[in-house]
Amino acid sequence: MATMTKAGPDTRLWNPEADEHDSISARTFGFWLYMLSDALIFTGLFASYAVLSTPMNLAGGPGPAQVVNITEGFWQTLLILGSVLSYSLASVALKAGNKGGVALGIVVAMGFAAAFLGFGLHDLGGLMAAGNGPDRSAYLSMFFTLIATHGLHMIFGLLWMLVMLVQIARFGFTADVVARLLNLRMFWQFQATVWVLIYAYVYLMGAY
Amino acid sequence: MHVDLQGPWSPLLGRLTLGAIPYTNPILIGTFIFAATIALIVVGTVLYFRKLPYLWREWLTTVDHKKIGVMYILVGLVMLFRGFIDGVMMRTQQVLADGPHSAGYLGAAHGYLPPYHFDQVYSAHGTIMLIFAVTPILAGLGNIIVPLQIGARDMAFPYLNAVSLWLTVAGAALVMVSLFVGDFSNAAWVGLMPLAELPYNPGVGVDYWMWALQIASIGTTFNAINIIVTIVKMRAPGMGWFRLPVFTWTMLSTNIIGLTAFPVLTVALALLGADRYLGTHFFTAGLGGNFMLYIDLFWIWGHPEVYFLMLPAFGVFSEVIPTFSEKPLFGYITMVAATFAIAGIGWSVWAHHFFTMGLAPNSIAFFSAATMLVGIPTGVKAFNWLFTMYRGRLTITTPMLWSITGIVLLLVGGLTGMMLSAPAIDYTVHNSVFVVAHFHCMVLAISAGIFSAVVYWWPKVFGFKLDERNGLAFYWAFVIGSVLVFVPMFGLGLAGETRRLDYLYDPQWMPLLIAEEVGIGFYFLSVLFFLRMLYVSLRDRVPAKGDAWETGRTLEWMTHTPVPFYNFAVTPQVHSRDELAWRRANGLEEAKPDRYVPIHMPSNTGVPVIIGLLAAAFGFGLIWRIWWLSGVSLLAIMVLVIIRSFNKNEGYILTAAEIEAMENKIETASVIAEQPKRLPLSEVEAH
Amino acid sequence: MSTHHANPLDHAEIRQGTVLRYIVAFIISALCMGAAMLAVQLKLPFLHYAALVVALTLIALLSQAALFFGLDISRAQIWKSVSLVLTVPLFIISVGLTVWAFSSLYERTMLPPSGVTQPGMSAPAVPGMGPMGAPSQPTLLQ
Repeated sequence: MATMTKAGPDTRLWNPEADEHDSISARTFGFWLYMLSDALIFTGLFASYAVLSTPMNLAGGPGPAQVVNITEGFWQTLLILGSVLSYSLASVALKAGNKGGVALGIVVAMGFAAAFLGFGLHDLGGLMAAGNGPDRSAYLSMFFTLIATHGLHMIFGLLWMLVMLVQIARFGFTADVVARLLNLRMFWQFQATVWVLIYAYVYLMGAY
Repeated sequence: MHVDLQGPWSPLLGRLTLGAIPYTNPILIGTFIFAATIALIVVGTVLYFRKLPYLWREWLTTVDHKKIGVMYILVGLVMLFRGFIDGVMMRTQQVLADGPHSAGYLGAAHGYLPPYHFDQVYSAHGTIMLIFAVTPILAGLGNIIVPLQIGARDMAFPYLNAVSLWLTVAGAALVMVSLFVGDFSNAAWVGLMPLAELPYNPGVGVDYWMWALQIASIGTTFNAINIIVTIVKMRAPGMGWFRLPVFTWTMLSTNIIGLTAFPVLTVALALLGADRYLGTHFFTAGLGGNFMLYIDLFWIWGHPEVYFLMLPAFGVFSEVIPTFSEKPLFGYITMVAATFAIAGIGWSVWAHHFFTMGLAPNSIAFFSAATMLVGIPTGVKAFNWLFTMYRGRLTITTPMLWSITGIVLLLVGGLTGMMLSAPAIDYTVHNSVFVVAHFHCMVLAISAGIFSAVVYWWPKVFGFKLDERNGLAFYWAFVIGSVLVFVPMFGLGLAGETRRLDYLYDPQWMPLLIAEEVGIGFYFLSVLFFLRMLYVSLRDRVPAKGDAWETGRTLEWMTHTPVPFYNFAVTPQVHSRDELAWRRANGLEEAKPDRYVPIHMPSNTGVPVIIGLLAAAFGFGLIWRIWWLSGVSLLAIMVLVIIRSFNKNEGYILTAAEIEAMENKIETASVIAEQPKRLPLSEVEAH
Repeated sequence: MSTHHANPLDHAEIRQGTVLRYIVAFIISALCMGAAMLAVQLKLPFLHYAALVVALTLIALLSQAALFFGLDISRAQIWKSVSLVLTVPLFIISVGLTVWAFSSLYERTMLPPSGVTQPGMSAPAVPGMGPMGAPSQPTLLQ
């Protein structure tokens, strides 16, 4: 058996130096796993969307082609990608420990995200005003839930950015703050990824 | 966006009124008196011995993985008892309510439980046993053992670990509260649709079930993240992937399932919640809803969940059997491969839970074939265990007995499962108690794994073994009970008894029902022996050695017994798959580290337990539609988390001298010992 | 737990990001989505159109994974890459098998609103639907 080596006089049995673990890596990996589980939430929602977007689920209400506006959706795509780009550039400024650059990138990212959310709210609000709210049909229930779940993630991200702005100002770039900034970067990039999927599947496929 | 509620609603108390307290039901009054007595005894004892500060400082606020594990298991055992009592009630109802001439008591036409109450009992039984008994116990075992087996100080995220525990407790607490305030779901543990929808279930029962599951499953997801990161990032030097003990492998695969499957349950329940609270139409009968979608989502989670529970039990067998056979595990690589094969295939078999609900033949064929495939890796495992025992030096202790029993149960449950995977047979016996007996064999195999693990690892945590004589009595009563309850149940299922019946129409079933009731009696006996085992062991407390069974093979047996709160005084260097067996073979099992170095430890914190309390309040508010309570609790959780993120949480340092003192007097470092107050890092530096 | 010693800003996951790679990721994603949007105007057959959108989306997603998330097999990122690769089959299994099972389930268990034959086609103002969307009995029994 390969594992049965013999112990010699200089076999090392204890390793006092082994205690140092890279805490930032553990945290980003942990957060990455959380995002995978979040991705499965969206998987569940996409599967549900596939099931509930047939003509049988419209209950006489509007279907995908009447609900989505692909031009507006494209502006939203640009906005959210811009927001992610801005946050990512902030993390490049982090390399140099440039507090102002990081804060600026985050603030711009927040601005783009707010515009994105404005579009989304306008969309959903318009549907509701026309009597096509989430209680109109199973299809609309699903559409609203999918968009709102993504929107809630965005709002959560905005809140997180606000907290990080304060923490950067107060603590500077400690290990805690840096780990959080890295996690937030992944979280934010993930929102753009999910939106690309929503745009391709719900908007573009729906508009056909 | 408006849902029609039946009954009164007020802004202050939501739907809660005095009528929600079931003070007219004698069964629930009895239950309340029982629960209140136990609670009074526990609280009274704590107060009488002035242990409240100890309890708060050392347990409620702890971030130590072993204490968290112990609390997980304690909660699981309490819930196991509750689920067991539900089982007793169901069996007793069926034996009393067989045939048109059976008498009725306490206002029921037959038996003693009216249909609505009976429906709640079986819904609670399933939910509690799977989610609030077995899941926490297995999470607790993973918490205690995984860091020890890989030579880590603690979990990767000790604080998150405590949050997971208290979220699970919050869910369990909601299930318990449903006994005395309002009622529980009557739509089965799976949530039958559209029965669980608001028009057909206007009360709070479904809401209790839904929010309890939802909150507990967040805890499970966090715990899964924690264990995966711990195993990937925190292994001791020298512990490569193929030196990982098999229990740790199974915990890794189980928690991968937990991480990926539970979100789908979250979606299924959230969509149901939207239907019940916001008036959407996901699973409703009208307006385009499709309740099959719920069943699909539920079982996308539900089937991997079965393996989520099963795999750790396999891990336990794989630890216990080599230890008591004094041989390395046969076929380590195939065992690991089989573990992941089961987890992987388990992801594409879920539709076998609804073969009869209108799927097309080609879909059924796919899911049936995938289901049968699971038998292959499971068979590999069973043979590996048998070959491990073959020509081993067997010591038949109670953990070993439980593990062998687990294999037998796995065989019975697995073979009946193979029968059910054939659609033709499934069409014949679906929804009969044959299916119930089948999956109970599987969960009994899990229970066997659990009891095996509890007896096996108990001395590691507490420093003394469980009493073997009472353990044997417990074992035999449990086994005889299992045979008497579930063998007749297979027969009843084939005879045509369907599930979830509060009234049975065929008097010819009576003999088998009586046999089941006798079996329940043996189960009752086994509970008494279990308690006696705890009592006798706690009274005698015969100290155990570090390697308590003297034939342990893995890292956890290299620590002291009881294990100190810092686990290993110095992190071991790993040379072999069975490190302790390797050291023993080289005459090194007594080797001690020659010097100690300071250890950085995380500080205790009260935040997790407060988050748990607030989560329970949040759920309670949603259940009774007390919006202000939910809003305030949610806001408070967010504020608390943000405030905590502004603390530095730098932990404290155990000095080499302190460690040396504790190593020489190990009781002072055990999980039950009270620790002196140690200053956090920054305050030490400030002095 | 250890938070001292090395400067956190030297961490590999921070060192990895550059202005160029983020801008390239942005441009690829934006171009792919823009091209997919314009493809609606082409009036391709549905399957061709779907294939085109899927291909463009995949390119956008891959560019994001590689350039935004910076997934690769370096020591700092390997576990993220591995865990993602292990999870992607689950995305495909859960959505794919669900869609497959339901496509036949619908044919076998649900009566489509009259006048609707082709899945994917929208159904404005279906005749025979009541104001609440409940199909009136005669339509169903035809």
